[in-house]
Amino acid sequence: MSSQFIYLSILVASIGTYFCRAFGMFSAKNIKVDSPIFHWIRCVSMAVIAAVIARIVFFPVGILTESTMLVRIVCTLILLVVYFLFKKNVILAVSSSTICFVILNHVL
Amino acid sequence: MFSSQSFKDGVKHAIGVPALGLGSSMFAFGAFLHSAGFDIFQSFLSTFFTFALPGQFVMAETILAGGTLLNIFLAVLLTNSRLYPMTVNITPLIRNSNIPKWKQYLGAHFIAVTSWFNFFSVQKNIKEDEKFNYFVGLGGFLWANSVFCTVAGYLFSNLVPHEILIALVFINPMYFLVMTVSNLEEKKIICSILVGATLSIFLNDVFPGWSVLIAGVLAGTLGFFIFRKENNE
Repeated sequence: MSSQFIYLSILVASIGTYFCRAFGMFSAKNIKVDSPIFHWIRCVSMAVIAAVIARIVFFPVGILTESTMLVRIVCTLILLVVYFLFKKNVILAVSSSTICFVILNHVL
Repeated sequence: MFSSQSFKDGVKHAIGVPALGLGSSMFAFGAFLHSAGFDIFQSFLSTFFTFALPGQFVMAETILAGGTLLNIFLAVLLTNSRLYPMTVNITPLIRNSNIPKWKQYLGAHFIAVTSWFNFFSVQKNIKEDEKFNYFVGLGGFLWANSVFCTVAGYLFSNLVPHEILIALVFINPMYFLVMTVSNLEEKKIICSILVGATLSIFLNDVFPGWSVLIAGVLAGTLGFFIFRKENNE
C-alpha cells in the first residue's frame, strides 16, 4: 500500500463520516424539540448505538478479533452486573470488565 | 465562544471518565496503525478528520485487505451512518440562531457517541442559548484528546503489551454500553435498545454491511410506535 493511497483513504473516510454529520444537521433544520419526529429519531439513535455495541461484541473488526466471542460476552455480562450491583458506578464497571478481559483473554 | 463559561463547563465535563473511556481506545487505535504500517502523520490525520473510532478501524482494515477507495468510502459511510440519526437528534437542542451556520456545521464534527451521550445526560440543566458552546467545549475536548491519544498510542505502542492493547479497544464499546443502559428509563428506549441489539446480531449474516442500520431503524420505529402514548404523558 502506497503512502499516497493511505492519504486518499483518510480523505474519503473523512468525507464519508462528515457527510453523515452534515446531512444530519441539514435534515434537522425543521425538527423541533419534543416533536414526535424528535422522539422517533432518539429511539432510532439509541437502537443504532445498541446495534453497534452488539456487533462489536459478536462480530468485531480490528484487533478485537484476537479475542474469543466467549470472553467478550462474559466481560460484557460482568460489566452489566457490576454496574447495576454497585449503584451505577461507571469507573468500577468498566475497569472490572477490562481487567477480566485481560485475564480471560490470556487464559482462554 | 472559547471564553464563555458554558464552553469551559463543557470542557470540565469531558475531563475524566469520558476522556479516559474514549482516549484509551484511541491510544490502542494509534498502536494498531503503527503495527499496520501507517506513519505518525497519517495516524494523526485519521483521528483529526474522522473522529469516529469504528469507522477508523474499518478504514484501516479495508486498506489492509486491499480494498479500493470506493470500498473504503462505502464501508466507512455505512459504519458511521449511526452519526446521521444522532446528529438529527442533537441538532434541535444545540441549534442557536446567534451563531453563524458555518460554526454550527464545524461543531457537528464533534458529534460522536461519547459526546452525544454525555451532552444528553446534562442538557436539561443548561440554558437554551448556552447549549451549543457547552457541546463544543465537551465534544471539542474529547476530539483534541482523541487526536493526542492516537499519536501517543502510535509513539508508545512498543511499551504496552499487545494483550493490554486489545483490552483498551474493548473499553470503548463497554463505555458505550454503560452509557446506553444508563438511559433505560423510558419504555420506548428500553424496547429500541433491546430489539436493536438482538436484530443486529441476527441480521449480520443476511445483510453484513447494513445490519446495524436496518436493525436500528426497525427497532427504533418499533419502540416509538409501541410506546407512542409514553410521548404524550
